[in-house]
Amino acid sequence: MAVDLPPPPSPAAVSATLTETDVRVTSGYRGARISVYGAVFDPAGRPSDVVVVVRGPVQPVRIARKVRVAGIWLNSRPVVFEGAPGFYRAASTRPLQDITRFGHLRRLGLGLDHLAIAAPAERRVETRYGVRDMVVSALGADYYAWRNAVVRLKQASGLYSADADGVVFVDRGLFRARVDLPAGAPTGDYTTRVILFQDGRPVSDRTLRLKVEKVGLERAVYLFAHQRPWLYGLVSTLIALGAGWAASRAFRRS
Amino acid sequence: MDLYLPIAEMSVNAPLLIALGAVVGFISGLFGIGGGFLMTPVLVFMGIPPAVAVASLSNHVAASSFSSVTAYSRRRMVDFRMGGVLAAGGVAGAAIGVELFRVLRLLGQADLVVGVSYLIFLGIIGALMLWESLGTILRRRRGEAAPPRRDRRPVLLYALPWKMRFPRSRLYISVIPPILLGLLVGVLSAIMGVGGGFVLVPAMIYLLRMPANVVVGTSLFQIVITAGLTSILQAGRNQTVDVVLAILLLIGGVVGAQLGAKASARFRAEELRALLALIVLLVGLRMGLGLFIQPDDPFVLVAAVG
Repeated sequence: MAVDLPPPPSPAAVSATLTETDVRVTSGYRGARISVYGAVFDPAGRPSDVVVVVRGPVQPVRIARKVRVAGIWLNSRPVVFEGAPGFYRAASTRPLQDITRFGHLRRLGLGLDHLAIAAPAERRVETRYGVRDMVVSALGADYYAWRNAVVRLKQASGLYSADADGVVFVDRGLFRARVDLPAGAPTGDYTTRVILFQDGRPVSDRTLRLKVEKVGLERAVYLFAHQRPWLYGLVSTLIALGAGWAASRAFRRS
Repeated sequence: MDLYLPIAEMSVNAPLLIALGAVVGFISGLFGIGGGFLMTPVLVFMGIPPAVAVASLSNHVAASSFSSVTAYSRRRMVDFRMGGVLAAGGVAGAAIGVELFRVLRLLGQADLVVGVSYLIFLGIIGALMLWESLGTILRRRRGEAAPPRRDRRPVLLYALPWKMRFPRSRLYISVIPPILLGLLVGVLSAIMGVGGGFVLVPAMIYLLRMPANVVVGTSLFQIVITAGLTSILQAGRNQTVDVVLAILLLIGGVVGAQLGAKASARFRAEELRALLALIVLLVGLRMGLGLFIQPDDPFVLVAAVG
């Protein structure tokens, strides 16, 4: 028995959980605060960095540039980015560029600079939704200006964020990260990826699922409006007319 | 107390919206207009997507107009036949307008067209109304008699075919001008989220030469039909009618409209017109100004495809 030999360094691992996996959008919904709790298991006790990335459902984003024509500010033709996450938050224990190198950040899509926004590689002009000449992607010299504008505008509405102090070690090996979902965050399936970095390399990761869904009346109204739009229009108009009539009756008596 | 809007997908302050509905409803009842031209800019300013604001407002406008029109109808101040002819044009115009708005949204030009429409229509109509009503007020102050109306039988109204009798308005005119007028108002209703009363009322007085006492009620009657239909079309085609938003605005709106209709009896018609003209002019200039001011950010997210 090799009792005297030092044990081989066991690989470090990360484990995590969300305080909430089902965010229910009700009539009083004002956004949600979710915490990610996790632990780093490393008998060797090497210095660890944790990055938590939350991504919302992928949606096409349409963005236009304001151009001045004869003194009036007009919108250019919109550019469509096919796959931008509807919500994005990267939280980490330190600034990302101090944790690991560019290649890992780019490959894992960590941070607002490396967030993957899918766009076709070439400029295409095609007929979409019955409208001709839509610029689907203009990967040209100013591609980064457009892409950064998407990030900036989403950031301004609280949908995209990065926080270099967002992951806090609360005790030995135990960490916590907060995620604030604004009321405007899209409904759908979210993924939360927790990645452990040691010595600049990703060594372990966990993926957690999170669902944001409308429930109760909000869900019923939303589904009604999208599945039976004509009936919904008729009913909402009748409600409106009924309310108008009721008010005039009420005032006639008084 | 915040409330989540299921279609706009955002959370709003409910009492604020109810109060807003009441203020606009009061103005609506006072002047006999839908009030949409005030409400749309305010809602957009609050961050509600313009497409949702415009569509939900047509729902609200239908309700507040319906509430007022019953009050006018009891006083026999509605020409239902003229309203019906106008509405026939309005219904066609609304259908065209909803499709037009859909294409404009896809092209990312909806904001521009809404801004330009506000500037042109509100600017021109506000200026004309202000000029006319101030003239009337000044003449009354000086004790002069109103100038006699020239050309009491305009060729436009009497030479065209398909003449029809409108007993309550004491008119016997061609139906073509009212139908075209209704068409224009229907398109505006869908694009600007307005009832169109601010176009209809002056046009009925100056173009159709209708008696002033039936103008407001008739305009409201036409707006109920056009706005109600626009609301159904917007819901069916664009899925942009937020019924929760519409109901919030309604609660205050219908009450405000009743109070406004009662208050209107206390003012002289030309004073009301001058006041309305000022409001119309200011809103038009404010909305149009955005086209000339350099935006903070050169980029803008365009509404997702519904």
